[in-house]
Amino acid sequence: MSLVPVYQRRASALHAARAGASATFCLSLAFAPILFDNPIVLGALLCAIVAAAVGAGVARDLRRWAVYAAGLALLVVIINPLVTSDGLTVLWRGGSFLGRRWDITLEAVVAGAVAALRVLDVVLAFALMSVTVDPDEMLRALRRISYRSALAAALTTRLVPVLARDASRKSEAARCRPRPPGRTAVARSAVAGSLERAVELAAALEVRGYSRARRPQVARQPWSRHDLRVLASALSIIVLAITARLAGIGDFQAYPTTQVSAGTAELLLGLAFVALAYAPFVGLGGRLGVARA
Amino acid sequence: MPEPILVADRFTYSYPDAAHPALADVSLELDAGSFTLVAGESGCGKSTLLRAACGLVPHFHGGEASGEFAVGGMAVREHGPGDLAEVCGTLFQDPESQVVMGGVRAEIALGLEHRGESPAAVARAVEEAALALGIGHLLGRRADTLSGGELQRVALAAALAHRPRLLLLDEPTSQLDPVAGDELIWLLRRLNEEWGTTVLLTEHRLERCLPAADRVLALDRGRLVCDAPPLDFLAWAADAKPPLATPAARLFSLAGLRPLPGSVKQAKASLAQAGIELESEEPPVQAKRKRGIPALELRGVWHEIEDGPAILRGVDVHVEPGELVALMGRNGAGKSTLLKHAKGLLQPTRGRVRTSGEVALLLQNPGDYLIHEHAREEAGESALISAGLSGRAEADPRDLSGGERQRLALEVVLSADVRPAVVCLDEPTRGMDRSRKEALALRLHELAQEGAAVIVATHDPEFAAQVADRVLLMGEGELIADGATAEVLAGGWYFATEVARVLGGAGGALTPEQGAALLARELVS
Repeated sequence: MSLVPVYQRRASALHAARAGASATFCLSLAFAPILFDNPIVLGALLCAIVAAAVGAGVARDLRRWAVYAAGLALLVVIINPLVTSDGLTVLWRGGSFLGRRWDITLEAVVAGAVAALRVLDVVLAFALMSVTVDPDEMLRALRRISYRSALAAALTTRLVPVLARDASRKSEAARCRPRPPGRTAVARSAVAGSLERAVELAAALEVRGYSRARRPQVARQPWSRHDLRVLASALSIIVLAITARLAGIGDFQAYPTTQVSAGTAELLLGLAFVALAYAPFVGLGGRLGVARA
Repeated sequence: MPEPILVADRFTYSYPDAAHPALADVSLELDAGSFTLVAGESGCGKSTLLRAACGLVPHFHGGEASGEFAVGGMAVREHGPGDLAEVCGTLFQDPESQVVMGGVRAEIALGLEHRGESPAAVARAVEEAALALGIGHLLGRRADTLSGGELQRVALAAALAHRPRLLLLDEPTSQLDPVAGDELIWLLRRLNEEWGTTVLLTEHRLERCLPAADRVLALDRGRLVCDAPPLDFLAWAADAKPPLATPAARLFSLAGLRPLPGSVKQAKASLAQAGIELESEEPPVQAKRKRGIPALELRGVWHEIEDGPAILRGVDVHVEPGELVALMGRNGAGKSTLLKHAKGLLQPTRGRVRTSGEVALLLQNPGDYLIHEHAREEAGESALISAGLSGRAEADPRDLSGGERQRLALEVVLSADVRPAVVCLDEPTRGMDRSRKEALALRLHELAQEGAAVIVATHDPEFAAQVADRVLLMGEGELIADGATAEVLAGGWYFATEVARVLGGAGGALTPEQGAALLARELVS
């Protein structure tokens, strides 16, 4: 099992859709949290991402990403009250130091938690993309824009698991030595090994005509039901998010006192996000032809 | 006469800062549609010859080149690998380092996309290459889910997709088990016959590919020392370079029979023609010995992966001090996992592992053990002497040859203050020539004589026959055979030595020396 979950083709509507559609879907789930700072809406968007992951059969992969993201979110929760003393409800007076007051306020803690929720949403939306969008297909499209950057990205996605395996082998070999070396020595050796592998890969690319590579031509492929359903869902999420924001739904004010809009509109908006995120997987249409023969 | 596809005329090449040229005064011509095997001991220049043919030498590696070397009419000193890729498809030893894309379909398509082919042409070529190599079912798979054999086939399909006129392969079977290795060689022969692709292949285990080749080039210290059809090459090797002769050829040579055979079939036909009929009797079954105190004992060991398969399924193994055991089986049979359990790197999910002392384990990649900047830092002075590297104490381990790395890594794992009770080696002969295998066999016998139980996981039946007195054969995580080497390897097909296949397992003869003695007795009677 690899340390970082990577793309594996699974029998789901999101995997079956073309890379452009699936990527737009995942990006829509990363875009919506950027527009909102209302915890109800952000929480609903987290549910929407989880619903999509369950529909795509990657909930387990997402759970592993969530462990990494939770650490980052916790950091935001801790740091925000330390750097912001705004807010009227003081929980702890830290006195003056370096020319400013170091008070911890309830409002700053809440704002930190909301920011952490947003971080969690965005990271998990990108995690969903990493495990459901075929990187080769995605990068083929990007190669038309910047060939070398796209190829470098392709190599990275391919090499992460290979280098992780190399490092794990080196660590096993270190345990076989009568006097096991320190982690730094093993890490340095793993880095040197990855450079050797990079040289071998460069040679392999050269003999496959990399230096004379031309821009790939666009491949026309028929639109499948999953392309259309996933793209429709993605566009609906984007349109709904923008419309709701313009309509003033999902307001949130952190300072000087915390004020959260928590009416029917916010609840309906949250439910709509969850429903739209799960829509591509619903019914017979979400299951037809999803597996690769 | 068709134009030769590759022409070298007094070509000499030295790597940067090298004391000696890697190729010296090489002159040769390769006809289109030929299947040529390049033979020679490690470091003789085989890989450099292939790297010159695909343009990596001198463009990628630097160094100095003189003389002429042209492929498909393009001089390699003027045309780089990008130009030569139009004519050549290249496959290196380690498929992990040449598969670039994450998915199989994208990998096969990459070279075609580099050439600016239309999507329809790419799709068709990918489909045809995949079907030709029997990997149509892998097109939707991710590269990191493939076995070594599958990955090597994918890399071959990627090299072939644009239908190159010349296919260059650098020890493509060194990472494969006998089944996958044989399949790959016959696949190459089919491509050569049906597509007319010219094949230039380097390989240490010549017996595997000699029957498929039309011609053999032998290199020695960068010089072309033999350029002949397979049978003439064998006649030359038997006299001038015995380590290059195949086991069947050495059997005939030692028995004084001529001509030397290029394949098992030829050898059998020659024996029949000479009126030698050997009874394919069962080798004598050794009486079961009373079991002594084990150096290593596995009792009902299971290794089950969460949400995955069972890699070991109730394995029982009992190895005594001083025993030399070969552990065989195809890739994925559970050999490496068993050795890791012996060392304690893995814990059984059920069952028990017991050892009478320290276990030294040398895993598949000796380079993984070498983590310092100087060889002297890896192990003590005495270890360097045992590894035959006393003059290279200051060398960076990464600059050592494959054989040197392997010897040093073995001494590293043996360098404990306490002598190990068990020494395990995982595939130690990959990419090794015969002389080095003999040196390793000698070292392992020394260790056994000192009282260590030695267990070697190997795909190489010739090495197993040379080194082991007992063979454990594994399949699907289970022990499917456990017996004396002659008992297990004489009657097999894939897991049998070439001599055993020639002699039909008669008398349990496995090595050319044993076979020659048997033939001598037969000729006298």
